[in-house]
Amino acid sequence: MSSNNIISTSDRILITGSNGFIGSKVVEILLEYGFANLRCFVRPSSKLDRLKNILNAVPAGKTAEIVSGDLLSRDDCRKAAEGVSVIYHLAAGMEKSFAGAFMNSAIATRNLMDAFMEHGHVARFVNVSSFAVYSNLKMPRGALLDETCPLEDAPQERHDAYCFGKLKQEELVREYGAKHNLPCVILRPGAVFGPGKKALSGRVGIDTFGFFIHLGGANQLPLTFVDNCAEAIVLAGLKPGVDGEVFNVVDDERLTSAEFLQAYKQKVKPFLSVRVPFFVANGMCGLWENYSKWRQGQLPPVFNRRRAAAEWKGNCYSNQKLHDRLGWKPRVNMSSALRAFLSQYEQAPN
Amino acid sequence: MLRIAIIGCGKIADQHVLSCRRIVGCEVVALCDREVLMARQLGERFGIAACFDDAAEMLRSAKPNVVHITTPPQGHFSLAKQCLEAGSHVYLEKPFTVTAPEAEELIRLAENRGLKITAGHNLQFTLEMLEMRRLVAQNFLGGKPVHLESHFSYDLGDASYVGPLLGNRKHWVRQLPGQLLHNILSHGIAKLCPFLDDRVEIIASAHQSAQLQRLGGEEILDELRVLIRDASGTTAFFCFSTQLKPGLNQLRICGPVNSITVDHASGSLLRHVKKSYKSYLTYFVPPLKNAKQHFRNACVNFANFLNGKLHQDSGMKELIESFYQSIQSQGPPPIPYREILLTARIMDEIFGQIYSRKQAGGIAVITGGVANSPLVLPTP
Repeated sequence: MSSNNIISTSDRILITGSNGFIGSKVVEILLEYGFANLRCFVRPSSKLDRLKNILNAVPAGKTAEIVSGDLLSRDDCRKAAEGVSVIYHLAAGMEKSFAGAFMNSAIATRNLMDAFMEHGHVARFVNVSSFAVYSNLKMPRGALLDETCPLEDAPQERHDAYCFGKLKQEELVREYGAKHNLPCVILRPGAVFGPGKKALSGRVGIDTFGFFIHLGGANQLPLTFVDNCAEAIVLAGLKPGVDGEVFNVVDDERLTSAEFLQAYKQKVKPFLSVRVPFFVANGMCGLWENYSKWRQGQLPPVFNRRRAAAEWKGNCYSNQKLHDRLGWKPRVNMSSALRAFLSQYEQAPN
Repeated sequence: MLRIAIIGCGKIADQHVLSCRRIVGCEVVALCDREVLMARQLGERFGIAACFDDAAEMLRSAKPNVVHITTPPQGHFSLAKQCLEAGSHVYLEKPFTVTAPEAEELIRLAENRGLKITAGHNLQFTLEMLEMRRLVAQNFLGGKPVHLESHFSYDLGDASYVGPLLGNRKHWVRQLPGQLLHNILSHGIAKLCPFLDDRVEIIASAHQSAQLQRLGGEEILDELRVLIRDASGTTAFFCFSTQLKPGLNQLRICGPVNSITVDHASGSLLRHVKKSYKSYLTYFVPPLKNAKQHFRNACVNFANFLNGKLHQDSGMKELIESFYQSIQSQGPPPIPYREILLTARIMDEIFGQIYSRKQAGGIAVITGGVANSPLVLPTP
């Protein structure tokens, strides 16, 4: 770890969502880099086993604070941001409703940024967003999706509350950067996988109708192993000269959807999957979308062409900026990552 | 054209806007939320430009004919009062108010000002409930119901709702007198009220499920059973459960001649007709007749789906539309005020029994003790 960081190892760092799948790994890596003054923000109802195991594993972890609260409460945000130099904001609104996603992503982020600017020793705000904010509707199949690509301009039509929440969260972060000079960095991880998260990415396919429909086919998956993703997030909070930048986070080696599914089936369990080509999926989604519009939402537009494009059209990806500007290197190569991901099913079959 | 405004732009507000869009002769013209960003996110998605963070300013500026109040219940009374005083009709999401006296005051105010008010008991207006009302109006039951049963299930697995309130004593749901129950059970109670007199005896018992205990539910109760008897002898049983699987959302109305079961989960209605069969035929014919009814329900639902009547929010749309019609025609409100008040009083009494006794330590409700001392509610 280079000593050329914007903060010293004794500066206080806040990690929201610190008990989560990625957040706990961010805590682990920060401890490994010698940052001992960590404040881990968790929800009041969180089960803290994962985080406590990480904190108990190293001496520096003993000095970390665990603060529980609700980011919708300005008082709780003040408690969280008091005296903090860098915030890693990973807490996410996972609600299915648009209002819920907006509230827990955008409003919570606004509260946190306000508290940071008022009560923190502001060095950087790292906002963890998602690939979900992109729209590739007008891009050709297989086109390069990088940080310059267009963002979704109709999340309501895509019927994707998570995408909406993340878009609005990013908007606010950019606004605070531009209007209030908040030094900020936005990261957009692709499909994060690893031990601790068992579900297959929706980019591979869906089992909504009682059997698995394989929709990803030969598409590249924007996979990033949880350790590699957390490394990128940590670096984004420390490296100088990247304020205002956006980084996509994907690993160097990329599997196709078919390769990922095959490895999953071989290791976990064989099951029937029906491959549906993109043009068929897209056509069916278009029909569903039109029916939904015609019948004023009698069927909610959960399947639509924007979603089909975002998840199953297929793109290629680049992490060049991550390498060049943050000096990021993957900690775990793809074969080891895949092995680690699949090994969780051996330990606790699901 | 009725001008509609919505105060409170959380999750349920989306359904209100969507329902209003399916009703001819109305337009949502203004949105209001204490957090103006919440109003704006809703306005942006539905193309509604007028967004406010102050109800008084919204009422002055937008001059809505009807205001839908979809805030947490603690704000219902003061906001509804403000809207009525400004001359707007009011649709209040459930629970109508936090307490029955508040409900009485609002209804009195609406009547004094010649305005309409209603409660968001939309489950009373689903297609199967409308069919039940039609049968009851035709005297299918053969007289006043003898006994009613209302089951209402709620899945604790819905972490998006239960998660935030666990471990957070300041959460608005936990500030309600009936906590989790308060925010959910009015649907199940309201369905009983059309069939009950105003004077009722109530015995309520509640406890915490093992699942909620594991989740860290602290003092929250999630299993409730209530026995009710009205002055003319009609009895009712109400069950609210987070543990019944598969979830049960039913109303059973037993009349002196025939009975009806309404099942919300499948959107179906079963008629139980008084008829006896000889010998072993009683084991063969009634099940076949029930099968025929189930088949008919499936066909009716499918036909309603095809003709667009069966909609995920058909109950809400029907209630809102009926409310607007009552405003325009100056007819009676879709839910009689007597029923709204009775629902509020029954809820007050239930929460009084299960929480006050728990606090007093007299009844071990956590372990399933029975609260006794029935109470006769005063007539309004």
